[in-house]
Amino acid sequence: MPVFHIDDQPVEFEPGEKILSAALRNGKKIPHYCYHPGMSIVATCRMCVVEIVDLGNGRPAPKLQTACSVDAADGMKVETMNKKVEEGRKLVNEFLLINHPLDCPICDQSGECTLQDYSFEYGSGKSEMDYSKRVYGWRNIGTFVSLERNRCIQCSRCDRFTREITGTNEFGMFNRGHELTVDTYTDRPMTNKFQGNMADICPVGAITEKEFRFKRRVWKLKKNRSICTGCSTGCNVTIEHDRNEVFRLKPHENQNVNKWWMCDEGRLSYRIMNERKTRINSPLGRVGQNLQDISWEEAYRAIAERIIEMAPKENEVIALTDTHASNEELFLLKKLLKDGFLSDNVFCPLPKWEQIESEFFINTLITTDKSPNRAGALALKIKGDAKNVGVKNLIDRKLKMAIILGCPFEKENDFHQKIKQTQLVIHIGAYHNCWSDIADVVLPGQNYSEKKGTFTNKLQQVQTTDIAVQALRRSRPEWQILAELGQALGYKFDFNNVNQVFGAMSEEIKAFSGLSFDQIGDKGIKLTKTFKDNGMKLVKETT
Amino acid sequence: MNILKTRIKLFSKEIQNQVNELLSRYPIKQNALIPILLLAQKENDGWLTEEWMKHVADCCEVPLTQVEGVVTFYTMFRLKPPGKYHLQVCTCVPCCLLGGTELLEYTEKKLKTHAGYTTADGLFSIEEMECLGACSYAPAIIVNEDYHEQVTPEKMEKLINNLSK
Amino acid sequence: MVEETLVLFKNIRKPEYSKTLEGYKKAGGFQTLKKVFGMKPEKVIQTVKDSGIRGRGGAGFPTGLKWSFMQKGSSKPSYLIANADESEPGTCKDRELMLKDPHLFLEGMMIGCYAVGCHHGYIYIRGEYFPAIKSLNTAIEELYADGLLGQDPMGSDFHLDLTVHSGAGAYICGEESALLDSLEGKRGQPRVKPPFPAISGFNGCPTSVNNVETLAYMPFILGDGGVDAFKSFGPENNSGTHLVSLSGHINNPGVYELRMDVSMRDIIYEIGGGIRNGKKLKGVIPGGSSSSVMTADEVDVLYNFDELANIDTMLGSSAMMVFDEDTDVVKLLLRITKFYAHESCGQCTPCREGTHWSRNIIRDFLKGNGSDEKLKRLDRVGGNMLGTTLCALGDAAALPIQSFVKKFPNDFRKYYAKK
Repeated sequence: MPVFHIDDQPVEFEPGEKILSAALRNGKKIPHYCYHPGMSIVATCRMCVVEIVDLGNGRPAPKLQTACSVDAADGMKVETMNKKVEEGRKLVNEFLLINHPLDCPICDQSGECTLQDYSFEYGSGKSEMDYSKRVYGWRNIGTFVSLERNRCIQCSRCDRFTREITGTNEFGMFNRGHELTVDTYTDRPMTNKFQGNMADICPVGAITEKEFRFKRRVWKLKKNRSICTGCSTGCNVTIEHDRNEVFRLKPHENQNVNKWWMCDEGRLSYRIMNERKTRINSPLGRVGQNLQDISWEEAYRAIAERIIEMAPKENEVIALTDTHASNEELFLLKKLLKDGFLSDNVFCPLPKWEQIESEFFINTLITTDKSPNRAGALALKIKGDAKNVGVKNLIDRKLKMAIILGCPFEKENDFHQKIKQTQLVIHIGAYHNCWSDIADVVLPGQNYSEKKGTFTNKLQQVQTTDIAVQALRRSRPEWQILAELGQALGYKFDFNNVNQVFGAMSEEIKAFSGLSFDQIGDKGIKLTKTFKDNGMKLVKETT
Repeated sequence: MNILKTRIKLFSKEIQNQVNELLSRYPIKQNALIPILLLAQKENDGWLTEEWMKHVADCCEVPLTQVEGVVTFYTMFRLKPPGKYHLQVCTCVPCCLLGGTELLEYTEKKLKTHAGYTTADGLFSIEEMECLGACSYAPAIIVNEDYHEQVTPEKMEKLINNLSK
Repeated sequence: MVEETLVLFKNIRKPEYSKTLEGYKKAGGFQTLKKVFGMKPEKVIQTVKDSGIRGRGGAGFPTGLKWSFMQKGSSKPSYLIANADESEPGTCKDRELMLKDPHLFLEGMMIGCYAVGCHHGYIYIRGEYFPAIKSLNTAIEELYADGLLGQDPMGSDFHLDLTVHSGAGAYICGEESALLDSLEGKRGQPRVKPPFPAISGFNGCPTSVNNVETLAYMPFILGDGGVDAFKSFGPENNSGTHLVSLSGHINNPGVYELRMDVSMRDIIYEIGGGIRNGKKLKGVIPGGSSSSVMTADEVDVLYNFDELANIDTMLGSSAMMVFDEDTDVVKLLLRITKFYAHESCGQCTPCREGTHWSRNIIRDFLKGNGSDEKLKRLDRVGGNMLGTTLCALGDAAALPIQSFVKKFPNDFRKYYAKK
């Protein structure tokens, strides 16, 4: 690749790439407001000015240039930190602050506001503007975001977002000059499903998420990388939390999956992470009609004793799981049935689902499959079909025991009734549901935000969740529960962490062969052997 | 409230022909947006309503936000009704040097209203204009679509009196 | 005695000239076009290059060079757009041409279209020019009726349509990329360059945007006048005549066609007949309101591109605004700054905020609240708009502020707050 120099450091660039883009890609920071790598270049904030001391032909550029709009060239020399450049940034920041309100104490953006950051770096500390500021009011502009135009710095990212990214054109720039402003068309609220992204890309506090409004100062939030488990897309996110409470999910750039975006529904999935009402707090065992707190040891021992007593045969055992479980959990569940009972009777729901086809990439993030690991279940050959025929056939026979992972077949009342008849029902999950109601033993699992695990998204890329918040003291991650259960039954199930489970999985399962947990990294990794999901139907986007 | 003061009028047949002719003059329909908006404004007595903007948006196959963006960008589009005679007084540099500002003040006083407003009888509205491009014949004004040049307060008085008849 | 040199105004200055196609043809019109149809387009562009004509819209970019940049061999159509969005305060020359001799301009435009291979030319005219729009439309109808426009005019196999496109009131649409956005049906906001219009202009196609006056010279340059005659009208690198819009406190305001080697003093005192009411000259804004102001003792300079650039101002659109000793330059500057604050499209930070802020500071002066500090601040705010924006509107707003502060400091002192 050709090379140019930023502050005397060589930087590689792709032909046609702009200075700013190449700089950011190589970890070189140049302050900017209006530039966004996913959208067209307007070069209007004028913050990213740099001095080009050599255009690559031995001559300098006549004046400061905006790094976002000038092509990098072989042999070009760019200075981003000299006095002239700093003056250039200072003047832009001074201009922006003459109308920007100093309401940082009550602004939700405060702490992650680029204007605030750059003012700290390039501001003069005093204002020479002694006239009144431009004033508009607060507006509720959509289902997910609100607009405070006083804070707007007219970078037009939001306008470009609805034009170029969602194609919904709900937002526009109106008036001109000093009165230039952003808004929706004649007060109509926005309805697109990706409004949260507008709050993300807004460099100031003009567009903010209503869900997060006045909830917490952002500098108190701790951030952990993870993925959104709201659907099978598996958008990369950061889970942002404080004092063990999750406050929001923010998209994290991954060009292979979600680029910079995620949908509003996914953002709202943070709520379940804080759910306490239906949470299972400790292992429970059935005594008469009631479930009572028991210890883990009591739970495992009780299960082991019952199983030895019953000695169930291959087809007297069933395991039901949802596709919210991680690859490791599915793998261990399958292994448990195989090793323990020579049984393959692990079932999950596999309804048909629709994938939207669209000229706008962002629309393809939405699927009707609201589980994060359908592809993982398919890769692990967990049984299932759209009409649940397999489960139905098996369930009519005389079953002795059932293991339920999570909340599968929630609406199949018939299944509940029949499973209830079996002698031993074990439910493993984080939340109370129809299964814990009928279980004999309930083992408290954990949420995605509390455990490690890998998930296979609809593009058959394996990605990981990470521990963000501390789990309830007496809960355990499902993979651990399954491993301990195996050990309690006397099998060789000594897995101490997810990495080991993943290792065993890659040895035994073709789709994962050759992969290691550490390989997955930030960007995810494609399954070794991909396959076609026959339950998927492509549908054209309807507007 | 004047809820039904203005009724939705679509283009008359004659204007629709003009609209079609305009659309045929451009490679894509969107290009004709501004001329068609001007036609619509003329049809609707000099101003645009939301209904008209919607109608034009459909004609040119552009999003509503673009139409509103365009309408609020250009000064010739009005979102409230002008008077029957729209007096556009230039006060820009050459006109300012030769009494354009005073002419505007005189007009405001004479009509007992201000630039940007319409007289109570709906007959006149005044607008302070930036350069009209008649600088060598300053001060200049436009009444609806007609230029009047080297206008003095006396000429203005006569003009207003004539139009009031 | 300085006199007009008539190239563009040779018809207009004849009292008996009738502004019809017939009248224009009688005066020798469309002979050049016929000749041009027999030439290769490259040859036409080369001739225009040789003539050294520089764009008359304000920037003074060589027209032939601009045309030669047009992307060749593109699968997309090429466009030639006439920039008739004459809005620079002080400028009213294109209006004169379009109103009084539209055919001359149209012939020039047709030559231009032929040169760049454009089959549908657009005339982007400012919306307020109602009479000029009518005049052009009438002339274009005549041309269609005569077969000069449409399929194969004059037996050539060159198909050409012309359309008058009305703007709707925005000074910034005189900037060529904003004009293209506006022509496309969008808000007229200047674009990032490159790509330049010659590569990606109207609807993403190769486009050349040329001023009306520039195009109107084409029949002369390629016709009976010729390159050498054209060059002889001015010094090296400033060839041709130009239309000077003379306005302000002058006895004979008007639009005059002058050579490029006439001094400003002569224009003011001989052509313009001196200052009105026997007053003394205080200053001149030489090239539209965006040029730096000149004081009375600076006017002994030739009125052309290079000479004015040498003294840190510019010829711009050749619009001279003259003001006399009684003029309050602070008020004048307020009016200029108000104009730019009103016309800024608002996308670039320095221009959006700077024009507004400087307007407020000047208003403060007029309220009697001036001070040394504020004068310095005004100069600084103006300077911060200079060269820091996407298009030249920031510069256009900054130059008058800085030059007024520099050249007429005493006028500002009158408005200092009393201690």
